[in-house]
Amino acid sequence: MLEWLTAALGDDVGFWVEYLTNGKHLAFYASFRFTILAGILGAAFGLVFGLGGATLRRSGFAPLRWLGMGYINVVRGVPDVLFFLFFPLAFEQAVEWIIALNACSAEVREAATRWPPCAEANWFLGTTEYLLLASVSLGLVYGAFAANVINGAMNAVPRGQLEAARAYGMSRFQVLWGIQIRQMWVYALPGLSNVWMLLFKATSLLSLLQIADIVLWADRLGAPNFIARVGLVHGDWRWRYYLVLFIFYILVTWLSEKFFKMLMRRAGRGILAEAG
Amino acid sequence: MKTLILAALAATTLGGAAIAQEVRLGTEGAYAPWNFMGDDGEVDGFEIELGNELCERAGLSCTWVVNEWDTIIPNLVAGNYDAIIAGMSITDERMQTIDFSDNYYPPDPSKFAQAAGADINYDDLSGIRIGVQGATIQAAYAEQNFGENNTILSYETADQSVADLSAGNVDVVLADGGYLAPIVDGSGGALEFAGPDVMIGGGVGIGLRKDDDEIEAKFNEAIASMKADGSLNELITEWFDPPNTFPEE
Repeated sequence: MLEWLTAALGDDVGFWVEYLTNGKHLAFYASFRFTILAGILGAAFGLVFGLGGATLRRSGFAPLRWLGMGYINVVRGVPDVLFFLFFPLAFEQAVEWIIALNACSAEVREAATRWPPCAEANWFLGTTEYLLLASVSLGLVYGAFAANVINGAMNAVPRGQLEAARAYGMSRFQVLWGIQIRQMWVYALPGLSNVWMLLFKATSLLSLLQIADIVLWADRLGAPNFIARVGLVHGDWRWRYYLVLFIFYILVTWLSEKFFKMLMRRAGRGILAEAG
Repeated sequence: MKTLILAALAATTLGGAAIAQEVRLGTEGAYAPWNFMGDDGEVDGFEIELGNELCERAGLSCTWVVNEWDTIIPNLVAGNYDAIIAGMSITDERMQTIDFSDNYYPPDPSKFAQAAGADINYDDLSGIRIGVQGATIQAAYAEQNFGENNTILSYETADQSVADLSAGNVDVVLADGGYLAPIVDGSGGALEFAGPDVMIGGGVGIGLRKDDDEIEAKFNEAIASMKADGSLNELITEWFDPPNTFPEE
């Protein structure tokens, strides 16, 4: 199949095909799954937290409303890198603290100079656990943005329509579900598409959590190698691998745009003239 | 009820003694030729072959865990793995937190590598950028001796410090001689050794938790047997050029 390529480009092609499909590179390609999974799971969590946050923010009960406002304003203000480091660690240590209450004796807990106080209370975080925690972190951070977008979109639905619906005899729930939420998506989708893109870009932070993700592998594969026994001898190739990551992220952006356009058409049926 | 649990516990412990004890070995996977990612995507290197051999001699069933260098000690203490085999020099500072086995690689002089032909006065280093890997004996040494008049740049991996040396972002790199030698050799004349050798550290050993005396004893016995039959020196000669072997007894 590659004969015409070899003919066109010379024998080097065979060498490069082999190099680019060795175990190290296959592991690099496979690591894209972490990024994609974290993006999708993060978005799912983000939507849940966003809808929850917006609901709290719009609650008629003041303490709940304050909780929603607190979530939206505090979490939006914290840099995502910091939150990414803070949340999984805090969560892990909280769990270990709870385990330690049962697993370690009181004397050991009080005398302990290290964490966790006894070996039984250690919670080992592997890639799966870190991936889940990373997704929840992404969801929490970008959920706050999504909550703000959804809250704004709910306010953007013309009040006159809601009043008219009430006047037609619809119940409060029917107005909320059939009129306000139904039309809210049209106003929310452009903002949510922005939030999604920011969230997906933040998946490049996964290597901070000991996940062997695409950034880590790009670093490893691109690092110069001077020892023949270790593999192909080459200089600093990191920029080439970073370029591959650039292209990947741009590709995802392009696909996302298409996807959101489709969603917009669906959400806008009967509302937007151009949606038909 | 209590006795029942104790009995069950005793049964599992005794039962466990019959099959090989499971030990997880932590390494960095970014420090060739000590430990690195092979073309097949699995860890490879001097320490991988050594670790597997030691485990076989000690009757342990070992698996490898890759962990970044800067968290490799905390994660050992936390129990994410049971031993560090990652080119870690034995130092007093580290001994406060963890234990070490006997050394399996003799004390190795640290060396300065620079771009070929660079004009640097090693008798009185000042105003230059020195690259080191963070949390290493070289990082501590550079900070202590050259920190005042120079810029010390610390990197997450040793490979990154060398990459920045080739790119001209640092003037010299201070690292283990055994790590730098093949790099300088293979650089095709772009890099060279310069300045004095610096002796730091007491050789390289296996890092272990302070309370794991049983594993420590097993590893020490296996290391001693590899020193005695010459196979450790053979392995060093196979992976390092020039080899830094133990003196014949």
